[in-house]
Amino acid sequence: MLAQTLMLRLAEEGGELGDHVVEEAANPILPTVPELFWGAIAFATLFALVKFVLLPPVQKTMQDRANLVRSDLDAADAARSQAGSAASDVSDQLADVRAEATQIIDAARAEAEADRARIIGAAEDEIAAARSEAEAEIAGAREAAMAGVGPSVAGLAADAASRVMNRTVDVSAAQPVVDRFLNSSN
Amino acid sequence: MFAALEFPSIENLVEWPAFFGDGTFYAFNKIALISMLAVIIPTALFLLAKKEMVPRGVQNIVEGTVEFVEKQVVLSAIGPEGLKYTPLILTIFLFVFFGNIFEVIPTFQMPANARMANPLILAVVAWVSFVTIGIKSQGFAGFMKSSLFPPGVPKALYILVTPIEFLSTFLLRPFGLAVRLFANMLAGHILLVTFGVLCITLATASPLAAILPFSYAMLVGLTGFEVMVSLIQAFVFSLLTAVYIQLSLHAH
Amino acid sequence: MSIIASTAAQISELAQEYTPAEAKANAGASGAGMAYGLAAIGPGIGIGYLVGQAVQAMARQPESAGQVQTTMFLGIAFTEALALIGFVVFILLKFA
Repeated sequence: MLAQTLMLRLAEEGGELGDHVVEEAANPILPTVPELFWGAIAFATLFALVKFVLLPPVQKTMQDRANLVRSDLDAADAARSQAGSAASDVSDQLADVRAEATQIIDAARAEAEADRARIIGAAEDEIAAARSEAEAEIAGAREAAMAGVGPSVAGLAADAASRVMNRTVDVSAAQPVVDRFLNSSN
Repeated sequence: MFAALEFPSIENLVEWPAFFGDGTFYAFNKIALISMLAVIIPTALFLLAKKEMVPRGVQNIVEGTVEFVEKQVVLSAIGPEGLKYTPLILTIFLFVFFGNIFEVIPTFQMPANARMANPLILAVVAWVSFVTIGIKSQGFAGFMKSSLFPPGVPKALYILVTPIEFLSTFLLRPFGLAVRLFANMLAGHILLVTFGVLCITLATASPLAAILPFSYAMLVGLTGFEVMVSLIQAFVFSLLTAVYIQLSLHAH
Repeated sequence: MSIIASTAAQISELAQEYTPAEAKANAGASGAGMAYGLAAIGPGIGIGYLVGQAVQAMARQPESAGQVQTTMFLGIAFTEALALIGFVVFILLKFA
């Protein structure tokens, strides 16, 4: 430390004597007046230009673009929701149509069922009528047959009885018995 | 055997003869020319940029810059209320960047910010801005109170704290801003000059010419590095200005 | 301190061969180198630590990478200022 101070003092003296020294005290750290002057002018100009001329249109363009993008996005959203509602409309309609179709099919089926039932009923009625007619016919035939058969049976029975008992049996007396017998055996 | 490394004196590296007006206050040298170009180039870029909905070319560059400053600097440091200071921050960013980038542009090869003048002007602008904004938003007394008397400190300690706060807020902030930019650019400039001089010296020193490629590769690499430094310094300067403005907007 | 003193002493021994102005320039140059070297140590460690922590934060929460990056640059700017003041001292000692 001491040596350094000593040396520096020596150096200062040398500087004072200094014809040898070329030090023009041009300190590289300190600013010079002309550079300050031009720098200040430059900065002031640039600030004024940026603030009033250069920046506003650029910011306006960017703002416009942001707005445009936002409105486009909004429009896209609206279109999307619209498309969604249209799609749901279509599906609603589709469901309606489908329900209608089911309804029509059901109605047709019910009608066909009714038709079938009606036709079957008619056929059954017809069959029943035919059957009852046939039964009546049969009954008539039997009646007739019975009516035809009764007196001869009674005669035969009376004949047979008179032969068995060796006495005359009145046919008219035997008739009710024969009738009863025939009816019970019927 | 070794070629002497004739390193130029610092005056040759940073001081430039005047084109006109030598010796007067308006001496126009290379630094002043770069300052002027730092106005003309951004102006030309902004005017050339078309104002179309689908950006291309120059418009992309300009809008990218504006968006970077708005998002990364203003919004991230101040927030939405700082958007009205965008012109100031953008001007600082552009001026610093174009003052820096001439460090690597051939025929200029000199950052305007490696002289103290421009950093000093920018620091004064930042200082005036944050003091004015502080006084405007908090009132003079409120601003002084919030910046000199931080809350949560025992009353007696203010004897110690207030001078320190005064120093750090009103002297060290602008000083730091100016010196940070200036020293970064001067260091980068000297670094590039060193490797440039080394390349030239090696080219003329026959036995050592073998290591010239390494020195040259280093020079190229450092040039790329200095481009990055130019950008980062512009970013940092505008970001710090924004942070100081934010600090004076509200009492803490 | 003793290193500086001994270096200065060596230089002052050499200085007998130099004119006082040259001796001053030599002392300034050696002081300048040491000033910058010492000034670079702390900020070097500091920036390394800072960036390391920032990278860790970004790796843990990639979604907050932008915010961390901005804060990292701010921190670097403040830390770096010390080294840069050392560099300015270097320039002052060497050239002024």
